[in-house]
Amino acid sequence: MDVQKRIHETVTGSPVVLFMKGTPQFPQCGFSAKAVQILKACGVKDFATVNVLMEPEIRSGIKDYANWPTIPQLYIGGEFVGGSDIMTEMYETGELQKQLEPVLNPA
Amino acid sequence: MLDPQQIHQWITAGLPCTHLIVNGDGQHFEALIVSGEFAGLSRVKRQQRIYAILRARLDSGELHALSMQTLTPDEWEGQGRG
Repeated sequence: MDVQKRIHETVTGSPVVLFMKGTPQFPQCGFSAKAVQILKACGVKDFATVNVLMEPEIRSGIKDYANWPTIPQLYIGGEFVGGSDIMTEMYETGELQKQLEPVLNPA
Repeated sequence: MLDPQQIHQWITAGLPCTHLIVNGDGQHFEALIVSGEFAGLSRVKRQQRIYAILRARLDSGELHALSMQTLTPDEWEGQGRG
C-alpha cells in the first residue's frame, strides 16, 4: 500500500496517534519523551504510537503527510495537532486538554 | 558543529523578523522568532513557515532539532518583554 495511504489509515484509525522515536516505555529522543509525558499528564491512558525508527518508509512519508519535517507528531481525531513545542504550549494554556476532552469522555 | 549564528542567518534570509534569538549546543537548538508575518496564522502554520525555510537543512541532517517559539510583535510585547 502507498505510504501516504497507510499513514492516513493510521491517523484515522485511533482517536489519538503519536508518531515518535522509540516507544512510550523507551523513547529514543527527548522531544518524543516529552510528547508522551504531556499526553499522560492530560490523562490519556490509551494512545496509539508509531515508532518511526522501526518504520523507515513512514519516517520519511510522515514529513510530507502533514508538511512537517520533524518527529514527534500528534494527531487527534485524524487531524494534525503539532510537534512537541506546540503540544507544550497547548498543554500550558489548557487547549490540548480541551481538544482531548471528546476523546477522553466520548458522549 | 552547527553554530546558532548560522541558523539565525538562514531564518532572517527567509523571513523578516523584528526579533530573533537562536541558542543551541551544536545539536539541539531553540529559537524565539518574532515576525509580523505570523499574524493570523495558527501555531502549526507559523512553524511550517520556518520549516519551509529550513527544510533542506533538516532533510540533510545538518540540522537535527530546533525548538521554536513563534510570536507576532504584538504577542511579544504582550508578554511584557517588548
